[in-house]
Amino acid sequence: MDKFMVIGERIHCISPTIRKALEERNPEPILKRAKEQIEAGATYLDVNIGPAEKDGEEVMTWAVKLIQDEFDNFPLALDTANRKAIEAGLKVYNDENGKAIINSADAGGRMDMFKLAAENNAKIIALCSKDGIPKDNDERMAYATEMLEKAMEFGMDPEDILFDPLFLVVKGMQDKQTEVLEAIKQLTDMGLKTTGGLSNISNGAPNDIRPIMDSAYAAMAMQCGLSSAIINPCEKRLMETIKTCDVIKNNILYADSYLEL
Amino acid sequence: MAFKMSVQKAKGKVEEVQLGSGDNAITIGGEATLPFYDFDGETGSKAKLGMEILDIYPEDWVKPLKETYKDVAEDPAKWAKFVEEEFNPDFICLRLEGADPNGLDKSPEECAEVCKSVAEAINTPLVIAGTNNHEKDKEVFEKVAQAVDGYNCLFLSATEENYKGVGAAASMAYSHKVGAESSVDINLAKQLNVLLGQLGVDYGDIVMNVGNAAAGYGFEYLVSTIDRIRLALFNQNDKTLTMPIITPVSFETWTVKESMAPEEEVPEWGSREQRGISMEVSTATSILSVGSDAVVLRHPKSLETLKELVDALE
Repeated sequence: MDKFMVIGERIHCISPTIRKALEERNPEPILKRAKEQIEAGATYLDVNIGPAEKDGEEVMTWAVKLIQDEFDNFPLALDTANRKAIEAGLKVYNDENGKAIINSADAGGRMDMFKLAAENNAKIIALCSKDGIPKDNDERMAYATEMLEKAMEFGMDPEDILFDPLFLVVKGMQDKQTEVLEAIKQLTDMGLKTTGGLSNISNGAPNDIRPIMDSAYAAMAMQCGLSSAIINPCEKRLMETIKTCDVIKNNILYADSYLEL
Repeated sequence: MAFKMSVQKAKGKVEEVQLGSGDNAITIGGEATLPFYDFDGETGSKAKLGMEILDIYPEDWVKPLKETYKDVAEDPAKWAKFVEEEFNPDFICLRLEGADPNGLDKSPEECAEVCKSVAEAINTPLVIAGTNNHEKDKEVFEKVAQAVDGYNCLFLSATEENYKGVGAAASMAYSHKVGAESSVDINLAKQLNVLLGQLGVDYGDIVMNVGNAAAGYGFEYLVSTIDRIRLALFNQNDKTLTMPIITPVSFETWTVKESMAPEEEVPEWGSREQRGISMEVSTATSILSVGSDAVVLRHPKSLETLKELVDALE
């Protein structure tokens, strides 16, 4: 199996620093977070510019060029609900070190994003939902199959689709956790790739507990086959867990210094 | 429907490492597929074949070899020149047996003189092998690296015990190449590369010596180690395992009983020289076919045989 793919989540407009930097086109805070995440072992960086209804195309173009110019065309996930902004980002994206990831499509209104991915030789995150959270795994798998068929119609390679089963918060939805893990297993058994916003599961928990919950969940999900996640790579415990799981799963060769790599 | 050959695509590629300088410099590595799998991908540079010489008279070598080298074996520079002219190997491996603390215990300065004279005498790239005494090797290599500055030699080897000294002297202070030696321990092979990298040695200046064994002497384990190292690179693109591999075959094959037993003791085994060549050839052939990029040989007949094999498979 391939090594776990870490998509760094820290360039996100929900952070006031990043939102301000995006608004003012101030490179410094964005490059700082990009650098930290790359050094911490991110394989991809997510660039979330929010809904960006006003100037999304301009913002995404600026952000993609900024990060790729500074970090040797580092691979990125373009994250916004604004389709035009994603198109604009793809136009300037350089894929010599990895295809762009479109974040995201779903089985509802964003089904046409698969076409965009196919046309631009990009990867795509496919949310297993139509409107809101799927009620059970039957629904999840039905959406996944629907999206897979559509994407393949457009000529996509299934390898380039990262299925997101939608991670649910433990506090309040404790009874649903095993089912999500089961969905990862089912998707993996179909030979499909998976991803998701892992830290969702610890939402609302105290900050000192969250990394523990995220790490345990990552380990369990990786055993079910989870092949990537959108996480904070600067979270040491979580990264250590992921690397160790990669070693145990024989995705990377052990050496005494494996945690430093 | 037309037949479509399915191809195993590799995710990683072995670095190309240059040894020597000028017109006779050689490149080892560069492959992006298992050895001789030219139907799957780039096979890189042809396997390189080196010949072993010593810094002292080869007392323990078989008689016919001592006869071959009788006029030159007292002087390593003449010996090297002779080997270059007579046998034309891809590289010459000078083994500093005289530095062994349990033997003549020659000083690092003396070794440096010898290495310099050899490097100056030949155009063929030079590989310099130590004594296997980690402490002594470090001291020796520090002096030798300076003395052969500019010749782009490969030093065998840095180990877990002395990698700091050897790595710093050979590849950082002077621009040589460092051999990273792990004794048939796949995890250590990776670890040593990481440690050398953290020290500041460029990954492109490292050649791995991941272990050595004569066929029949734990050889399958060595084979599986090399196999797994290559697969970690080709399947997982492990950036810490991109170095080419050198195997000093002759260091092992001439020390096993098949090559050592005197003819008077086992007359039914036939000529000792022939047995030595057979051990060397069968071991080298096997190790090349599993992914070693270079081998060191002792007997001219072995070199000739391996040359023929490598050329025929090209």
